[in-house]
Amino acid sequence: MAGAAQSRLVEGDTSVTDGVAGATVGLSAILFALSVAAMFEWVNLTGTVSGLETVTLLGGLLISLGVAVSAFGLGSWFGYVETEPDASAGLIAGVGAAVPWFVIGGGVVSQTLGFGTLGGVGGGVLAGTLAFVATAVPREDVGSTVPLGVLLAFVGAVFLTGTIGPGWLWDLGWEQQASITAEFLVPVATLFCALYGGWAAAKAYGRFGATGRHMGAYVLVYLNALSIVAFLFILIAFVVVQGVPGLLNGVRVGSGVGPQVFGSFELPVYVPFVMNGVALLNDFQGVLPAIVGTIWLVVGAVLFAVPLGVGAAIFLTEYAERGRFTQAVEVSTNGLWSTPSIVFGLFGFAFLIPRFGNRKSLLAGMLTLGFMLLPLVLITSREAMLSVPDEYRDASAALGVPKWQTIRSVVLPAALPGVITGVILGVGRIAGETAPILLTMAGGTFVPGGQTVDVIGGFEFTGSPPFVANPELLQATSALPYQLYALITAGVGLGSNVSDPDGFRWATALVLLVVVLSFYAIGIGARYYFRQRLRYE
Amino acid sequence: MSDSQQTQRQHRIQTETTGSDQPPETTSGETVEETKDEWVEYDFRGAAKMVAEDLDVYYGDDHALKRVSMEIPEESVTALIGPSGCGKSTYLRCLNRMNDRINAARVEGSVQLDGKEIYQDGVNLVELRKRVGMVFQSPNPFPKSIQDNISYGPRKHGDIDTGLLARVLGRDDGDAERELVERALKQAALWDEVHDRLDDNALGLSGGQQQRLCIARCLSVDPEVILMDEPASALDPIATSKIEDLIEELAEEYTVVIVTHNMQQAARISDQTAVFLTGGKLVEYDETDKIFENPESQRVEDYITGKFG
Repeated sequence: MAGAAQSRLVEGDTSVTDGVAGATVGLSAILFALSVAAMFEWVNLTGTVSGLETVTLLGGLLISLGVAVSAFGLGSWFGYVETEPDASAGLIAGVGAAVPWFVIGGGVVSQTLGFGTLGGVGGGVLAGTLAFVATAVPREDVGSTVPLGVLLAFVGAVFLTGTIGPGWLWDLGWEQQASITAEFLVPVATLFCALYGGWAAAKAYGRFGATGRHMGAYVLVYLNALSIVAFLFILIAFVVVQGVPGLLNGVRVGSGVGPQVFGSFELPVYVPFVMNGVALLNDFQGVLPAIVGTIWLVVGAVLFAVPLGVGAAIFLTEYAERGRFTQAVEVSTNGLWSTPSIVFGLFGFAFLIPRFGNRKSLLAGMLTLGFMLLPLVLITSREAMLSVPDEYRDASAALGVPKWQTIRSVVLPAALPGVITGVILGVGRIAGETAPILLTMAGGTFVPGGQTVDVIGGFEFTGSPPFVANPELLQATSALPYQLYALITAGVGLGSNVSDPDGFRWATALVLLVVVLSFYAIGIGARYYFRQRLRYE
Repeated sequence: MSDSQQTQRQHRIQTETTGSDQPPETTSGETVEETKDEWVEYDFRGAAKMVAEDLDVYYGDDHALKRVSMEIPEESVTALIGPSGCGKSTYLRCLNRMNDRINAARVEGSVQLDGKEIYQDGVNLVELRKRVGMVFQSPNPFPKSIQDNISYGPRKHGDIDTGLLARVLGRDDGDAERELVERALKQAALWDEVHDRLDDNALGLSGGQQQRLCIARCLSVDPEVILMDEPASALDPIATSKIEDLIEELAEEYTVVIVTHNMQQAARISDQTAVFLTGGKLVEYDETDKIFENPESQRVEDYITGKFG
């Protein structure tokens, strides 16, 4: 097509082509969604989707996607569709097309034709090289569509003919008896094919060339971002669906059914799972002590780490001169942040526990997690303070305001959102930590509700220094991550009358998730509030 | 303008004809160190507010300001002009010891405020900077409300107290604070524009308003000298003219020293002008009219007429 080099400022009337290309992109999106659904077993491979067998449907869709994509490339090549292709699809596209063809070539030669491993590698290299050449050498419109279109059609045909059906199984023959099942292979293959097809179709939609590359990259990046969000929601939804039955076990609503709080006020709801501990005579068992333990643990760690971390950050940014010393502190802080949590746990076990009554205690857990939180708070606070403009400091100094006043009234408020971000991230990590708690704090898994740690009520005044004591802080208690760990791995006695152990475990996981996300929400709310105060309304 | 009652002052400007930062080795094997003392006679309308004598500033090995001596008369506008990197901002920052905040900076020589040396041990920087305020090149209000921006200085100096404890004890200075904010904003010609939104964040103001807010903030601690480092360089012509009007008004009560790149601005608003040229040297210092109409030095004339940057 000689005129292809001429690019035009205003496209002609091409609404039909646009429509078909857009529909092709939509088809690949449907395939993507179907493959994800099949991967999470929302769509059963042996079952049917809208009247068709799932594998047949996937195969048919793949073939039509492949045909459509190839048709675009060939149509462009023979001049039926006006496009502006580059000279070549490029090396990266070539490598991208070579990888699936290598896998297919290797698989077919070694398994279907039975030439063994060596033959498989040879076949794979041959097929991969062919795909690379077919992609990288011809003009862009053919190179970026036809090899992939053939790939899609081939995979679709394999599904459609039942060569790989729902019951297919490839025994790898390794020691661990590993095997690849259709339940795994079909969705994964479809997923990758949908991505390739979507990319090629998006390029066709953008009429190749610079616009086409942009569209292709856009589709891939967009699907990536979408799948991250989707994964988060799937994870949360999964835990919620599994956990809700256990959580709602024995719920009653009505006046006076709940436990008493604040003296005599009786809650109008009764959720035994989060309001009970474990006791022999309980109608329903619960995890209240672990919830309270987790909350106090996080609160204690934050109270310990935030003043220390922020203080150290102030010293490093505002007072210390940049040099060897601050560099050394920076390196060691980063090192501390990447230290495995079990090492912190061992430190707490060997150093803190002998100093706090020689037994596992809430206080030891708080301090251990506080030490874990400290480096992150320090790093993020330092970054936040460094990003406060020097103009603020100059302006304050020019008014004759002393340094500490400037830090307190100007630098810290401006850095606060950054500091809170650090604390949010850190809390997200420590609230779910199991190993340090296991070594420093955890007592029994099934703590009776009556042994819920009561830090505020535990303060006692004594006649001798330090005049205040809190035996509650020196008690071992439980926390949700540890409880979950113990429930699942150790299978520690579930209590005599938990009727549905799995539901109990999932409900524990759900409560842990909710507690951690609540800390997140508090942090994000606080950050939003302080940001608003800094910005103009 | 000069009168026999007014003090005649003689001012010495030292001009080193050869830069000392040239490599000492020359082909003839000797370095030429020729120092010419120029005596420029002129008179001021008032007494000297600040006096700098033989001021040298080094940034590390860089000799940024070379033996500058000049007097700044009170209740007037003194403009400092010159090309970039000539040391005029450095000189300005010496006058309230803001250069102390730069670790690499070293100041030698003497600066006096009302006859008191400010470069000596035991100088209270808080007091000095209260008396010698500063407005910066780009508007830099704090990310706080307009009212808090103005009352920040007096609060930190303990002049007004609106904290929780003060409120509980009934010693709340809320009225004094409002008065102070109103006075400063009126002085800075900003009151009419912002009086109904004093609690809004200052970052929501336009650039020109922000700069006038910074001037108001500087006035809030009741300074005697106001140093301005290119206060209008980031502003549009309308905002600039407002700032210029404001500076002329302020000069009736305060001593204003202004660094500017804009020679028309210097000619419009200043009473006397100091010209710094490359190398950190003060070349000429005189009545503004004299500088712009009949400068002594050829280099100054070249600079002012645009032949030389």
